Amino acid sequence: MIHIDQYAYANRLRAVHPGEKLAFAAITAGICLASPSLIGQLAILMTMAAATVAIVGIPWRFYLKLMLVPAAFLLAGIVTVAVSFSSQPDPGLHGIDLWGFAVGIRDRDFVVASSLVARSLGTVSCLYFLSLSTPMVEIIGVLKRCRVPAVLVELMTIIYRFIFVLMETTRQIHTAQVSRLGYHSLSASYRDLGQLTSCLFHRSMLKSQMLFVTLSSRCYSGEIRVLEPRRRLSLRRGLLIGGIDAVLLAVALATRGWQRW
Amino acid sequence: MSRKLLGALGWFGLVALLSPGQAYAMHIMEGFLPAPHAILWAIVTLPFLVAGLRSIQNTVKEAPHLKMLLGLAGAFVFVLSALKLPSVTGSCSHPTGVGLGTILFRPAAMSVLGIIVLFFQAVLLAHGGLTTLGANTFSMAVVGPFVSYGLYKGSCRLGAPLAVAVFLAAALGDLATYVTTSAQLALAFPAQTGGFWESFVKFNAIFAVTQVPLAIGEGLLTVVVFNLLSVYSRGELRDLSIPVREVRA
Repeated sequence: MIHIDQYAYANRLRAVHPGEKLAFAAITAGICLASPSLIGQLAILMTMAAATVAIVGIPWRFYLKLMLVPAAFLLAGIVTVAVSFSSQPDPGLHGIDLWGFAVGIRDRDFVVASSLVARSLGTVSCLYFLSLSTPMVEIIGVLKRCRVPAVLVELMTIIYRFIFVLMETTRQIHTAQVSRLGYHSLSASYRDLGQLTSCLFHRSMLKSQMLFVTLSSRCYSGEIRVLEPRRRLSLRRGLLIGGIDAVLLAVALATRGWQRW
Repeated sequence: MSRKLLGALGWFGLVALLSPGQAYAMHIMEGFLPAPHAILWAIVTLPFLVAGLRSIQNTVKEAPHLKMLLGLAGAFVFVLSALKLPSVTGSCSHPTGVGLGTILFRPAAMSVLGIIVLFFQAVLLAHGGLTTLGANTFSMAVVGPFVSYGLYKGSCRLGAPLAVAVFLAAALGDLATYVTTSAQLALAFPAQTGGFWESFVKFNAIFAVTQVPLAIGEGLLTVVVFNLLSVYSRGELRDLSIPVREVRA
């Protein structure tokens, strides 16, 4: 149902300690966000994309499709940053004349927008490395060890578990509705989606009561305890992560001054 | 200024119409905010999160089954945001679930549920981001719910019909979220000549094309849902201490 989640459970880095993967993604994202240089960010994008496709083992077609997910926001965002208007002719504005307005791009805005694309996609590639290689359950396990409040961790566990249950319920209700000529017009769509939502709410509340009864009958006392798979930290991988990040940091620092067009 | 504004609206309307159309709630994507802004918004959001967690901890101590209820509520809001709103234009947009969630589960709980839902959306759906989690939580799980709840309570107190109160809460909650996000983006990327305000107008104009229909659609849907809930789920609504009255869409 959720492809990212499926890959997170079935990839080549499944047996690696989640802390290592989280640290690699977080440190690289930090370098990318703080990096003053476009080339450093592009280097991070390339490294993370290569790592995700070649090492984690994600099909590159799927990875490319995933990269297009934030495209709409990115496009709208950079157009907004890059394009300006002026009601008087403006020599700094490279562009066209539209109904008496000068519409175009300023030099500085072009630099800002292009570094924005590189930074965003670089950080996105770090997020994808984490989300495609590490199951949510293990990410939550790491958060728990990082002293995130117990209530928050437990709510995350319950929510994650029931997202899939409720999505399946939604799918079944939707199929039942469509097979009975649901959603055939705009007003019918609103009515039917409303019915779906209220039914989903009703089922959610019912499930929460059942979950409490079930847990209570198994001696629940305010804490859900589960066995976690034991993963070993490896010094070799730790050094590799440190090495890669050191190189990326060096590239970012060395190419700092290259961007003055 | 108004001529300039008109031109800006026209141009961005054109651009936004041409851009591909899957309109999600407006989450700032991963890496879009510079590091200082990302950190600042995380710090601004923190007190609301702590307050929300405190209030949850207190309620859960008295009634442990409420933890399960909140968990299911969070999953419900996540699944809501994956539904497709029917629209006239043919582009498909997704509700945020903020309005309905806030009326049902209160703003304090929504700030906590909101951050978890945004976290899952970022990791599982690649929608939003972890470095922008603070900023997105502030707009969608702090400002949105508080505006929704204020409008809902306010218009109920003024004696407005429940349908009107619910519509206003859901639609204007969405709008408040999107205007807040535009302000966050404009603060991070002020225009060279017009500064914050010009940039704010530009961001508002370009995202209005997707976000205004979404707000109206979500307002309508929430009224329909609330109407049905007040007929079929009276028991649950009473447990959540929401006045049960007939609503007409």
